[in-house]
Amino acid sequence: MARFLSGVRFQVFYFGVKTLNEFGHEHVYDAVEKPLLFAQTAAFLEVLHSLVGLVRSPVSATLPQITSRLYVTWGILWSFPEVRSHILVSSLVISWSITEIIRYSFFGTREAFGSAPSWLLWLRYSTFLLMYPAGIISEVVLIYNALSYMKESGKYAVRMPNKWNFSFDYYYASLVGLAIYVPGCPYLYSYMLGQRKKAVSKTKAA
Amino acid sequence: MIPKMKVLVVTRSGKELIKGGLQLNDSATVADLQEAIHKRRNAGGDELRTSRKYYPSRQRLTLPVQPGSKERPTVLHYQKSLSEYTKGSTSELTVVFKDLGPQVKYSTLFFFEYLGPLLLYPIFYYFPVYKYFGYKEERVIHPVQTYALYYWCFHYFKRIMETFFVHRFSHATSPISNVFRNCAYYWSFGAFIAYFVNHPLYTPVSDLQMKIGFGFGIVCQVANFYCHLLLRNLRSPSGNGGYQIPRGFLFNIVTCANYTTEIYQWLGFNIATQTVAGYVFMVVAAGIMTNWALGKHRRLKKLFDGKEGRPKYPRRWVILPPFL
Repeated sequence: MARFLSGVRFQVFYFGVKTLNEFGHEHVYDAVEKPLLFAQTAAFLEVLHSLVGLVRSPVSATLPQITSRLYVTWGILWSFPEVRSHILVSSLVISWSITEIIRYSFFGTREAFGSAPSWLLWLRYSTFLLMYPAGIISEVVLIYNALSYMKESGKYAVRMPNKWNFSFDYYYASLVGLAIYVPGCPYLYSYMLGQRKKAVSKTKAA
Repeated sequence: MIPKMKVLVVTRSGKELIKGGLQLNDSATVADLQEAIHKRRNAGGDELRTSRKYYPSRQRLTLPVQPGSKERPTVLHYQKSLSEYTKGSTSELTVVFKDLGPQVKYSTLFFFEYLGPLLLYPIFYYFPVYKYFGYKEERVIHPVQTYALYYWCFHYFKRIMETFFVHRFSHATSPISNVFRNCAYYWSFGAFIAYFVNHPLYTPVSDLQMKIGFGFGIVCQVANFYCHLLLRNLRSPSGNGGYQIPRGFLFNIVTCANYTTEIYQWLGFNIATQTVAGYVFMVVAAGIMTNWALGKHRRLKKLFDGKEGRPKYPRRWVILPPFL
């Protein structure tokens, strides 16, 4: 399963970079849309794996990751086409796919062979140092850009009065979402740094 | 000469917390040990000049486990005598120390959690809050909104009264961080629900539904109060905690009847007020209480296993018949 998903992500990466080179950043989204939507949505299974204990990562680390991915993929890019031509879509797609190809290959080889090669281990625990900030900045800017379109269109809003006395404003919910990035990013980044420390010390001891 | 017992206090990383260990009487209890750790007197009886911040309720003392062993360490109970943990063989005991951080009493924790909803909800009812959300100031107040205010405030007032006059807490305290966490939970949900029930565009349900909802809710609140009285009488006033098999009233059928009545009481409120916010709160609260109930049910079953003269815990629902 891990190998299949890394294959899909490789597709995303390949098409993304190809389109970027040939046609410019405005067209990257259209080129990668289908495999991107598929791959990101399938990733919600990761949370399931965490919960069930199949993967060792805690739910507190996988859940924010997956939530932000699904939110940006479906809630921003798919919902607001005006944002798709932004240049940071390219950096988003590239940083996500690199991270995930490495991650899934890592798990895949562990699944298949019992352990992963040390260069792959190094990649998994080192590329995030650059990919995380790149991905996070892309996500935040894209969400921010979508905000004005949310307000204008009133998409996904539930207004009162209604029988269930409930209202929902996607614009404000997104502001809350952006606010969550403020404590969320240091938490995830330091979690990965901690994981890196553990992984590196393990290989030294081995 | 009073026989002395030597106690070595180590931290979880293996370091000695108190150099040279402590000397205590053979008959000393864990509470005495905790006092000694707090005062940090070393083997010579001199007081060390280090800080005395580790008051007893902050200390978690356990017996050491074999490295690599998966078993959970035995926690020392403050009322037990130290000799119970040395198994009588030696007069030396090693305990592992963990600092639980600053602690507060449960009653303090509960008071602040409940104060928020009690004070925040009326703000949405009485003050022109919705002006700041972009709504016009005039609004019509439906009867159900007024009853909801009374019901809600009575509920949290009841909880505060029970905290100080009814509940008998075990000796345990709670880390101070829980104050922030729990207050965030109660206060946020309180504001969330208050916002929707008192909204100028609020749509009330039928009169009959409202009456059924509040009526049922009040019955459950009274039942809940009675459950708390029964639980209180299981524990003696000296405050030493401990567990008994709950009996009487609904406890004969369900272990955590107090949680059951609490959940149904919220159901009554929601039937009367009908908001998504209220139902979400009820489901989350039910989830949290179910978690606690499962723990309590398991603990009671384990404690009252029917062996060695102990009664056997009867077959009962855990929290929500007929589901669990």
